[in-house]
Amino acid sequence: MKQIAIYGKGGIGKSSISSNLSVNLASNGLEVLLVGCDPKSDSTINLFGGKRIDTALDLYKKGITDPDKLVFEGYNGVKAVEVGGPAAGVGCAGRGILVALKTLNKDYYLERGFDVVIYDVPGDVVCGGFAGPAREGYADEIYIVTSGEYLSIYAANNIVKGLFNLNVKLGGIIGNMRGIAKEEEKIESYAKEIDSGLMGAIERNPKIHESEIEGKTVLERYPNDPLNLKFKSIGSKILQNKKAKVPTPTIDEKIRSILGGFY
Amino acid sequence: MNILTPRPNPIVAALYTLRDLDVDVAVLHGPSGCGFRAARLLEEDGMKVVTTSMSEEDLIFGASDKLIEVLKEVDALFSPNIIGVVGSCVSMIIGENVKKAIIDSGLSNKAFFIEIHGCMGANTRGAIETLKAARDFGLIDDKEFQRQEKMLLLATEVELNKGMAKSKYTRPSRGADLKTVAEYILSQLKENKKIAVVLNAKKETAYLFADIPLAINLASKKYGVSVINIANLSTDIGLSRIRRYAKDIINNFESSGILIDYISGGVDEYPIAGKKAIEYLKDKDFDLLVAVGIPQALPTIKKDSIAITNGPREVHPLEDAGYKYVTVEIASHSTVMGTREIVLSELGEAIRNIAGIQ
Repeated sequence: MKQIAIYGKGGIGKSSISSNLSVNLASNGLEVLLVGCDPKSDSTINLFGGKRIDTALDLYKKGITDPDKLVFEGYNGVKAVEVGGPAAGVGCAGRGILVALKTLNKDYYLERGFDVVIYDVPGDVVCGGFAGPAREGYADEIYIVTSGEYLSIYAANNIVKGLFNLNVKLGGIIGNMRGIAKEEEKIESYAKEIDSGLMGAIERNPKIHESEIEGKTVLERYPNDPLNLKFKSIGSKILQNKKAKVPTPTIDEKIRSILGGFY
Repeated sequence: MNILTPRPNPIVAALYTLRDLDVDVAVLHGPSGCGFRAARLLEEDGMKVVTTSMSEEDLIFGASDKLIEVLKEVDALFSPNIIGVVGSCVSMIIGENVKKAIIDSGLSNKAFFIEIHGCMGANTRGAIETLKAARDFGLIDDKEFQRQEKMLLLATEVELNKGMAKSKYTRPSRGADLKTVAEYILSQLKENKKIAVVLNAKKETAYLFADIPLAINLASKKYGVSVINIANLSTDIGLSRIRRYAKDIINNFESSGILIDYISGGVDEYPIAGKKAIEYLKDKDFDLLVAVGIPQALPTIKKDSIAITNGPREVHPLEDAGYKYVTVEIASHSTVMGTREIVLSELGEAIRNIAGIQ
């Protein structure tokens, strides 16, 4: 079993990538669990035709803590959990993640025979709770989603700093491109700078957004589109990846010089 | 310096200060066990203390609705005039909007919020924040706030320089046994030595510590020697509740025929009253100093001296300061709650027993 966590700047496409990776891995016959850790509860929405599943924390509130009752089966047999959390502006979403992860743990995953567990974690690592999926016993390695834009790489580097401080392994960078010049090269150069690698880059493609409007992954909406091969390729690379290691964060000036070097 | 010794906390200090302010109910927005030992004592002293018993679920989702509900319940149950709402570590970390909850409860005319939690430093910070909130709510004026803030900052300094915050870790100790100390005091009286007793007590503990000067004075009469009595029992300083303590004790002294030679300040002025007491004694003729209450706030003098504290963790610092004997009145906090007269102290009892007086 491999457990991975997806981090990256808010709005960069972590949930898109996580759900598309999940369904394509499932196509290869793997038992996949996608754990959405965003209190907005929108990580797994594309596996359920746009419907929201009951969140682990809403069920917890009702006294339901049996992990089997928190897991829902979505498109292509992918199992999904939404951690959920408080309404915006109240409570502590970070604590919510920690409590939900306590219920869902490695022993349970092994018992249920999952091959891959993917944690989709919101935005930056704003507090200790959001680093929960990166702690020992949860994700074996982290993948960071970024575009080639400065702010996205800057946010990625901030996450890398967190991983460095927490001594957590980075599996690699996944590009989610916005269509700027020499974008893949920019992302790859940054990956090398932090002593990591690019697992693959998804091009900007309207089919992703068209699928999402219907609450679907690309595989469900456009089963024969070559985009799915790209997701499958990134998925296999992740599964076979043996090169995960603690990354070395860089400095802001270096990011600017890397990105500037392509003009 | 990171001090390892467990020390009083700001939340509890806030609760005690609400009691001093004669607040009817303190609502602690936090887990049910937060500050429970202090809460129970304070309930014996007449102030109701309730919590919102926050749970793990409340920590995740917030508990403002619960707080509103508790405020309404408290209002219905106790019909209070004034309610103090005190923060806790959890509710403040998750950023609970307590002020809004008070408004939403419809009780903003009688409830006010003290924004405090356990990680805000010295316990005195909790007292200062409470007084600040009470001033803003109109319970005390700015002059009184300023005076008390100054005292509390000085008290923090006393602990830092001469008390348990002086070193990284202070071992608790009971010091010298009470019988030894009582026998020594009586032996001095028998030898016609002159004793100066300085009562430098903090708030309600004065009810207990006052028993020691009382017992020494009663014994001195038996042996026909006079005692110099100094006490921080001004009836003109501090909150009405604090002044009441001083009045009660002076009444008790008077009915036993004991006169105080010098009033060194108010019952909440222990950080400066000790210094005044020693200044007063500068040109007085005496052989033994007995410092009672907060002895660490007295400048040390080169004379035979005894200290009586209520903190086992103040013993070693006081011994280091040069007191011949240091001993502890261990039950001070629990015995004085709800009292209106001097409470029998262990040392006072030992003195009476050995001297054969009532």
